[in-house]
Parts: sequence; structure tokens; C-alpha cells
Amino acid sequence: MIQRLTNTAALLLCVIASSAVADETCMSPYMAKIVGQEDFVYIWTLGIEGVGDGQDKLVTVDVNPASETYSEVVHSTSVGGRNEAHHSGLTDDRRYLWASGLDTSKIFIFDVHSDPSKPRLHKTIGDFVTKTGGIVGPHTNYAMPGRMLLTGLSNNRDHGGRTGMAEYTNAGEYITTHWMPTDDNLQGAVKSGQFADGYGYDARALPRRNVLVTSSFTGWNNYMMNLGQMMADAEAMKRFGNTVVIWDLHARTPKKILDVPGAPLELRCAWGSQSNYCFTSTALTSKIWLIYEDDAGEWHAKAVADIGDASKIPLPVDISISADDGHLWVNTWNDGNVRLFDISDPHAPTQVFEQQIGAQINMVSQSWDGDRVYFTSSLLANWDKKEAAAGNDLQYFKLYGWDGEKLTPQFNLDFIELGLGAPHQMRFGAYALYGKSPAKENGAAATAR
Amino acid sequence: MLAPGYTALEFDPPAAGSYALPPMGSAADGPVLDVHGQQHALKDFLGEKITVLSFIYTTCNDVNGCPLATFVFKSVQNAVLKDADITNQVRLISFSFDPDHDTPEALGQYSAHFKQEGFDWQFLTTASRKALDPTLEAYGQAVVRDYDAEGSYLGTMSHVLRVFLIDRQSRIRNIYSTSFLHADTVANDIRTLLAEAS
Repeated sequence: MIQRLTNTAALLLCVIASSAVADETCMSPYMAKIVGQEDFVYIWTLGIEGVGDGQDKLVTVDVNPASETYSEVVHSTSVGGRNEAHHSGLTDDRRYLWASGLDTSKIFIFDVHSDPSKPRLHKTIGDFVTKTGGIVGPHTNYAMPGRMLLTGLSNNRDHGGRTGMAEYTNAGEYITTHWMPTDDNLQGAVKSGQFADGYGYDARALPRRNVLVTSSFTGWNNYMMNLGQMMADAEAMKRFGNTVVIWDLHARTPKKILDVPGAPLELRCAWGSQSNYCFTSTALTSKIWLIYEDDAGEWHAKAVADIGDASKIPLPVDISISADDGHLWVNTWNDGNVRLFDISDPHAPTQVFEQQIGAQINMVSQSWDGDRVYFTSSLLANWDKKEAAAGNDLQYFKLYGWDGEKLTPQFNLDFIELGLGAPHQMRFGAYALYGKSPAKENGAAATAR
Repeated sequence: MLAPGYTALEFDPPAAGSYALPPMGSAADGPVLDVHGQQHALKDFLGEKITVLSFIYTTCNDVNGCPLATFVFKSVQNAVLKDADITNQVRLISFSFDPDHDTPEALGQYSAHFKQEGFDWQFLTTASRKALDPTLEAYGQAVVRDYDAEGSYLGTMSHVLRVFLIDRQSRIRNIYSTSFLHADTVANDIRTLLAEAS
């Protein structure tokens, strides 16, 4: 394994499945990792009408304390409209960042390696729906060896929750589609409970066990609806995913459908060499679920902890597992809180910390060593809060230091005040991934490349 | 920690022929030199057989990088040689991305450590980085050459390991990297493509 130290980052360029990884903890096991100080955070940001140019954009923030522009927005690339910017992901070699729009189903591929401080739009995939045979709402952009796996949220027939996954080459060429198993077509999978809904959301691979795990949310009709309107619509509230699917990773065939009622969202898998389990949280029932393999090789799902008081609808969103599989950060969008759970016993997580970060909160990303924790605020354009109480932040990107006991604020960027929009998914960047340095980029030092 | 490719698989792979390997586009061409210094086009080595292509360099000291690829290739060679029905239908290619050091002669010496008599394992290099780089780019094989503070090349490179499975129509059918590369998986995929052809 190559492990090199530079002035800014320590990197793992060749990765193996059993390595500890950190959000860097939540990245694909196939991907090169930043295990030292990251230089940049790339934030896929929803455009808001009347805020700046109103367009979706990739915002680059300098997060290296040694830099003269630390804590500043150093670059922003707008994509020419609003697409319901949501999730993004890097290719396995981290040369390109894929960022998708849930409404238009467009996928924007940014070159982040030529100049890591100034990502540029390299290619736009505008025919995702037709190429994939009808998948709508590309969500997770997940690195596989030499290719990207894109999960969908919906379909073009009824804009409901039945959907699939698509594979593309790293160069952005369509390869194939895999539809989620349904009661109508289980595709050979075992339906272990009540549900085989065919819904989709996130995906994570456990190569060591030849397992791919997928979760389930809701379709375009719901995620593009006003939140209050949707929650008052009893029929709409029935149309949320209730399943996690275990797939044969190599064959890309579904093996077992597990009941996980209440819209299981982000999946985070443990990385210990004997740790055959993943976590997810359910948005509607406010629980942490454990997806695990037993000694006989069978996969199961069970609720293992409550997240706040479900009756108050905290609405769990992003989660982030620590590099040592010891802790899980859990955000709850509605109350703006982050909670930390001790998951050293994955079957019995216990909450050990809680703090409000803002009026609302969505994504959480931590550095490899867990010392730095980043937060953003936006969930969906039609679900986000429009105002916050005095003194409370609405649309923000924040960095905190974590010492094992408390979060210490480092900086806070107000994305409305800066004319940027509503910040969503964060991904890390580093010069050292590409044999570059800030000095080299500025032409101030000798270069030999 | 050693990559999974050095040990037994922790799972039973899906049966050969029971799954699909959708095409991922055409395998790119480029100028190459064989171990005798003869010039060829890479495409001359593609298409005739099911081909597994790995980009390596012989002085690579990252145990989970190029040495892993060569270790797995050697294991694939052993598996294919044991199956007389497919021995003549498979070709391995180890393609150097270090033309400065990996001359045809150097590659020839390197190959002698691994290649068994009668097995189709080609070792290829190029005449220069200028000749090599377009091929690397076409395969999406990023390589970062390491330099010291004075700008002198250190002779080492960082890269994400890539191994390509190529069918008889010269189409890429799978790509393996460190976490995924294993002789049993590769052999299974080879048999899957052969079953498809039959």
C-alpha cells in the first residue's frame, strides 16, 4: 500500500477493502483516501431564486488551516440552472466529481484533478432517463472499479418510488441498468418480510463479503412536493420505502429483501476485518437499524436504537461512521441537531452527545482521523425551512473540531449571505492526490511534471 | 495489510456463466514494443482471445499494487493451464508504464520469473513516455510520477491499480482494482465470457 506524506495530506492511493476508512469514512472502499489534512471541501449546492445567480453550483471552500485563504470560498462553478442538486461522489481515482440533480436527472461531471482549487465542468449527462430505460432522480454517485454506480429514486412512468440503479464508465458512458426487485418481479431474491417495494436511495459495497446493500426513500412525486402539503396527504405518506436489499455484488443480482420500515436513507458500513454489518437510519420512524450478517452467512435487519423522540418528527438524515467503527454521527434535520452514538456494540448503540448546529441540518462529513466534522444544512428545495429564529443559522457550511467530548466551532459560512444557495453534499479534495501542491499550482516552486 | 487477492476468497463467487458482464466500451489501441523490441499495435494482441490486461512497472514496491497484479496473473495462469479446454483461449498482458526503466530487455528478464512455457502471457512496453501517455489516458489509468523538491524524478509512481478484462470483440467487460482483484474472480469472469461465446 502506498502511503505518502506531503505538506498537506497523507494519502492512501491503493486501497483495500478491509482498511479503516473515515467520510472519508463514508466513501467507497474502492477509492483512494485522504487520511491527513484535506485541502478543500467541494459542496454541491442548490440554487435558490433571488440568491446570487440562482443556479445550482459546485462551491469550493479552502479548509486547510495552513492556507492563506483558509475558511474562504475560493471557487464556484454554476451549471446553468436549477436541477434539485442533491448528492455527489468521486470516481475511484478521485479525478472527477459526479454531481446529480433529482429533478432534471442531469449529472454534472467536474474535473477536480487538473486544478483541485478550481473544479471545472467537464461533461454533462443529459439523457440519463432515456439511457437507463426510465430511471428518474439519480441520487448516490458511488465509485466502483473504473465505473460509477448511480442509484435512482424514481421512474418516468408514474414518478413514484419504483426505480433502479445504473452503471456508467468513469468517462461518463452508459453501461447497464439494474431494477430494484418488486413483488411483481423478485428477480430471484428472497422476500423475507412484508415488503418488496422496488424503491431506492443509497448504496454501499462490502467487497470482502461480495455484498452490495441498497436502501429506499420515495419517488419524484413526493420529494418534489412541498413538505407540509406532503405530510398532510395520507396517501403520499404511504409512498415511502420500507426495504433494504442485499445484492450479490459481483453478479449485481438481488439476493434478499429485508423489511426496514420508515424510509431507510444513508447506509454506512463498518470496515473492521470481521465486521460484517452496516447502519442506516429511518426518516419516518426515527430509528437506527443494523443490517448484519450472522454466523451462518444470512443477512438480517433490526432496529437497534431510537433517534430522539419519534413523535416530534426529528427526521434523521445523514449519518457518518468513525474510522474505528466506534461512533456514529446522526443528524436530525427538523431540530437541527447532531447526535453521537457509541456503536462499539453494534447491536446496542447508545447516545453519548447531542448539540444543535442550526435551524436545520442535513449532511455530516468527518475527516479520516475524526478530528474535523463538517456540516451543511439543506435537504430538498421544497422541504427546506425558509426562515430561522434570530441567532440560528439557516443555510450554512460549518466546520467544528471534535476532541472526543465537545464540538468546537472553527468557521461558519452563511450560504445565503454569500449569494450561493442551499449547501448539500460535501466531498473532500487534496492537492497531494495528484502529485500537486499549492506552490506548484501558483508556479512558485520548481515543477517537473 | 495484504489485499484480498493474496488470500482465499471469503465468499463463494457466483457461478461462471450465471451473470452478465455488460460491455464497457472498446479497448484502446496504442504503439507497443514486445520483449524482443519489435514494434506492434496493442490491438494486435487484442480480440483473438479473452485477454486480461494490467498496467504495471517492474520496480513497483507497493505490495498491493503491481506485485498484486502479477501475483494474480500468475495464479490465473496456473488455473487456466489446468483447464485444457480454455488454455489456448486466454491471453494475459502485463503492460509497463515505465518505459524509462522497463526496456524490452528488462521486461524479458522480468517475465522469466513468472511466465510458464507454452502459456500466452505477453509483456509489453513502449518506446517513450510520449508514446505511452495517450494509451494510459485512453484506459483512464492515472499515474502520478514522483519527484523530489528539486524536480528530479525519483523513479517511483503512484497509481490506482487497474486490470482490464477484454473480450474477443476487443471490448472491456470488467475492470478490477486492489480491493476487487482476485484470481478466482478473474478466472470466473473469463469462463463467463467463454460460455457466452459458446
